[in-house]
Amino acid sequence: MVAEPKLAPIRKGLLEFLVLKIVGASSVYVPDILRRLAGTEFATQEGTLYPLLSKLRREELVLYEWKESDAGPPRKYYRLTDAGKAQLAALDEYWSRINRTIADMGH
Amino acid sequence: MKRISVTVSLNRSTLQFDEAAYARLENYLAESAGLLEGDPDPQEILSDLEQAVADQCARRMGPDQTVVTLAELEPALEEIGSVQVPGVGTVSQQTTPDAPPRPLRQVSEGAVISGVCLGIARYFRLDVTLLRVIAVLLLLGTGGGMILVYLALMLLMPYAPPEPGGMPIRWLPAKCRRIVEYLRAKLGVDRPGNMPA
Repeated sequence: MVAEPKLAPIRKGLLEFLVLKIVGASSVYVPDILRRLAGTEFATQEGTLYPLLSKLRREELVLYEWKESDAGPPRKYYRLTDAGKAQLAALDEYWSRINRTIADMGH
Repeated sequence: MKRISVTVSLNRSTLQFDEAAYARLENYLAESAGLLEGDPDPQEILSDLEQAVADQCARRMGPDQTVVTLAELEPALEEIGSVQVPGVGTVSQQTTPDAPPRPLRQVSEGAVISGVCLGIARYFRLDVTLLRVIAVLLLLGTGGGMILVYLALMLLMPYAPPEPGGMPIRWLPAKCRRIVEYLRAKLGVDRPGNMPA
């Protein structure tokens, strides 16, 4: 696709927003997030997700707790902090504003 | 025949790896650590990745299999992918590339005396008010010695070219500039290009 080099940074920038949305919907562990994104434009890998989640945790937007699993070692379950919820609401609002702007432009 | 294997502790799991798979795993983790250089929490991410490797390999092993080989490890690493540091290629990179050198120049527009503080503030990207307060404190602290420093800087620092749509030049900076330009011409220290028309 001709526009692909221009689209990649857009996806990259939006990934954090999508991860916040997924984590905001329910407490999840990384395979849940990967499954949710698989098959979308934002399909991603653990190698990308772990550094991103680490950054979000450092920014105090998400936190995790260990939960025992039936099979294998305990798992890290992520959820949003209050700051994360506020950030997600702000991003949501901003996103719909941008969408309106883009839709209205050029008419 | 018994395969030589290595017991590897991966975060919270322990698995047996054959030599080739162990070498590949070491290589992957070293590469990831390299990519995470500069990240504040590389250890957290590396532990997560180790756990991901362990989970992926365990999932790919047959029911009677006890040793991880490249046949499990390669597709596992393929699925995990190499480490991508968030932000790189977007915002953080745009602010870090070597910016063109900013010359240290006094700025007449918006200046209070001659524009020395304003010029220094621009150069170091500091708040000019803070710098002016420091200058006044130094003036008081040095018993006026600061005046000599200011005069020296005023004489030595070239002037920044006027900015389109910039602030107006006040009376005092304009006077200072006239005097400095006069002195420079007298002393023959005027270099072409210093003072735009």
